[in-house]
Amino acid sequence: MLGKLALAGIKNRRRDYLVLLAGLTMSAAIFYMFANLATNQAFLKANAAISSANVIFGFGAVLLILITVVYIMYANSFLLSMRQHDYGLFMMLGATRKRVGELVFLETLILGTIATAIGLGLGLLMSKFLVGFLLNMLGLHLSHLTAVYVPAIVATGVLYVGLFILASLFNLIKLTRTTVLKLLHSDELANQPKVKPFRQMVQGVLGVVFLAAGYWALASIKALQLAAIPIALVTITLGTYLLFRATILMVIRALRHTGWAKKHLNGFLLGQLNFRVHNYTRMLTIVSLLFAMALGAITVGSGYHRQLPMMAEKIGTYTVAVHDKNAREQKLIDQLHIAHQATYTQKRQGKTVYYNASELAQTPVELRAYSNSGNMNDQKLYTESLKKFKKSGISDLDFLSLALGKVGAYSPKILTAKQFAKQSGKVVTVTTVRVKNLQQDLPALKKLNQLETARFSQPGTMTVGNYQNYEMMLAFFGGLEFIGYFLGIAFLAMLASCLMFKILSGAPGDQRRYRMLYKVGVRQSLMRHGIAKEIGILFLIPGIMGVIDVLFGLQMFKPLMAAPMSPYLGIGSTFLIFIGLYAIYYLITLALYWRIVLPQAPND
Amino acid sequence: MTTNTVVSVSGLEKTYGKANERQYTALKGLNFTVDSGEFVGIMGASGSGKTTLLNMLSTLDTPTKGDVVVNGHDVTKMRGNQLADFRAQEVGFIFQDFNLLESLTAEENIGLPLALKGTPSKVMDQAIHEVAETLSIADLLQKYPAELSGGQKQRVAAARAIVHHPAILMGDEPTGALDSTSARELLDLLTTINEQQKMSVLLVTHDPFSASFCQRILFIKDGQIGSELRRGDQDRSTFYQGILTELGTFNE
Ligand SMILES: Nc1ncnc2c1ncn2[C@@H]1O[C@H](COP(=O)(O)OP(=O)(O)O)[C@@H](O)[C@H]1O
Ligand SMILES: [Mg+2]
Repeated sequence: MLGKLALAGIKNRRRDYLVLLAGLTMSAAIFYMFANLATNQAFLKANAAISSANVIFGFGAVLLILITVVYIMYANSFLLSMRQHDYGLFMMLGATRKRVGELVFLETLILGTIATAIGLGLGLLMSKFLVGFLLNMLGLHLSHLTAVYVPAIVATGVLYVGLFILASLFNLIKLTRTTVLKLLHSDELANQPKVKPFRQMVQGVLGVVFLAAGYWALASIKALQLAAIPIALVTITLGTYLLFRATILMVIRALRHTGWAKKHLNGFLLGQLNFRVHNYTRMLTIVSLLFAMALGAITVGSGYHRQLPMMAEKIGTYTVAVHDKNAREQKLIDQLHIAHQATYTQKRQGKTVYYNASELAQTPVELRAYSNSGNMNDQKLYTESLKKFKKSGISDLDFLSLALGKVGAYSPKILTAKQFAKQSGKVVTVTTVRVKNLQQDLPALKKLNQLETARFSQPGTMTVGNYQNYEMMLAFFGGLEFIGYFLGIAFLAMLASCLMFKILSGAPGDQRRYRMLYKVGVRQSLMRHGIAKEIGILFLIPGIMGVIDVLFGLQMFKPLMAAPMSPYLGIGSTFLIFIGLYAIYYLITLALYWRIVLPQAPND
Repeated sequence: MTTNTVVSVSGLEKTYGKANERQYTALKGLNFTVDSGEFVGIMGASGSGKTTLLNMLSTLDTPTKGDVVVNGHDVTKMRGNQLADFRAQEVGFIFQDFNLLESLTAEENIGLPLALKGTPSKVMDQAIHEVAETLSIADLLQKYPAELSGGQKQRVAAARAIVHHPAILMGDEPTGALDSTSARELLDLLTTINEQQKMSVLLVTHDPFSASFCQRILFIKDGQIGSELRRGDQDRSTFYQGILTELGTFNE
């Protein structure tokens, strides 16, 4: 009988349950994808660049588990908030606590198990398609990446079901400890947080100090090494929490006494925030950190993606070298945006390659000044007189690479035009091209390089021109970049759903409040705007804090992204895309909230 | 209709349930008027349609048939924002369950109807303090509803209902959740408001004691006005006896 009643209750709120289920499913799916990448030994071994980033994976896994725990906590509180009124009613009707407890336990567990099962299925599908798509988009190839990996399935299943058992126990204890009356009227109690000015001052100052310490730790990652990350994580968390506690309430209090608060629904908005923000402080802190991590990961990922060509450009002197170019290659060269081009005739004999001095005099070979400053922007291109070139420039690695045989480079010799004409040997012409902007010409360069390497084999360990350098670095940094994107998307998905659930769990209480406003004669549009503002502020606070965290946190990547790369380069567009995604979550939450909370007028 | 009629109801019908569902007609052709400045009670057994009637008057629900005119506005012809504005400006409402927003202080709760109109904050403060004096809740203004007793809550709710000087004050069993002392205090206040501010009051109740504060009582039975009782110049306790007698015959 009671089971039937419970089922009826669930049926009544099936849309809310769908939201909950969808969120949990997504979370499990994301976790599986990550676990698959992080624990798949065959995949890790096959991708050397990634296994060197094993630490990052491990770190990411720990973060993901923490977030999952928090996430399930909020999802669970949403569930409880939907159900406690019903449970209270059952008890009032005479159901024993034990019976209701069983019901709660089962309900939570069943929901969790279903979500985990669907989530695993979805995770398998996503591993297959989404990861492939992401890699494709980034132009990466990672070998041994399989969708089905049993240990990852087990890990996900154990973690989630375990967490749901805990959540069920928690619900059980919570329900059996609260009085029936409290359950029935749970959402009518609005505790008013007290303001203690001195304490808040101290909290505020401490918060700023902790934040500063955290940002300092990130910036001095060179000195602190890996210790910087846990230090920053702890201090920034504490700092953010204290700062939120100290300031948000004060600001709301201050606003409440202004004339602005007495217009339209503003007073109501502030009242709502006042008793909401307090128990949101912890969640806003977590969300702001998640926001920072997601944004940071994506920023770094896309930073690598955009800036690798820049880095490659600063190494070596020419982009590609084409030997005995044919018509197809000439066509491709014509498509390039050329900054410098030179063609030299070679005569190869024995282990020596001969050059014509008059050709070298006419278009001198470009050389790069490598400095010790560590700043690649100081490494300018220059040319020398032929006389000087014969002495030093001739042993430049890029110049040597123009004539590669099976075993290695031919040793170059420069002959006068007359001597060169007489010299015997296999005649090869080599054209070097330096493009203005590697990024811009990547597609044509890729084809050109394919044609060239198909015709002339070169020793596997050597690269000719900075396009080949770029390809090598792409393989190496690609793994990092991929992790950046992946973690970023995962964190974003979780953070936004955390926030969503926390906000939505306040909805049943708000339903009553908006019903009251409706009766008092508040226009529908005014209520809509009010809700939009309220939820907007709850999204905005961690958003702003998160952006600040990222701006400081990127310091951490300075050693990894040496000049001319910079973790700050071009972050504007990344931020915009990220904020766009965040805004979509806001809109979804808002739409759901409107649907739950807004009273329906009788004639529509 | 003369200008001093505040509420005029004619041929009012309300049927619950859609055409293809099981239907129930709660009101079957109701006719009555309330004059400006009158204190009218509506009585009837539980389930007789009192709340339904009040919901029609206050536009929280729409009639199936008939006309409802409140302070010159044809309620049945209004839509959307007009309805909201009508509720915000023309009627004051006291609910059995207080309907106070617990996230706001008493003062903010009372000020809500004025804030909705965009009243300047100085005018608003003045108006709030005036009603607070009238209802003797001046010292409760900074408290939150959770810190108030039932009687105090209902007085705050009454203050909110009249702060914007609506054409009519309606109450649906406003004493229903109060103890007898608080109930009596509230009824006295309603009488004061009615007398001092010449505000029309429409009180729905099933309780003869509450009804005895009214000048005129309409009895609803089976979705229609069954009878009417006027107090005239009787004192309250005599009127109370009259109501009991009427109820006795009415219920037979
Ligand atoms: N929303 C509704 N849907 C269907 N029937 C309703 C609804 N509201 C009230 N009723 C029915 O209308 C009748 C009158 O109800 P109501 O006006 O609440 O009575 P009361 O005089 O006790 O306030 C009752 O029989 C009730 O069951
Ligand atoms: Mg009723």
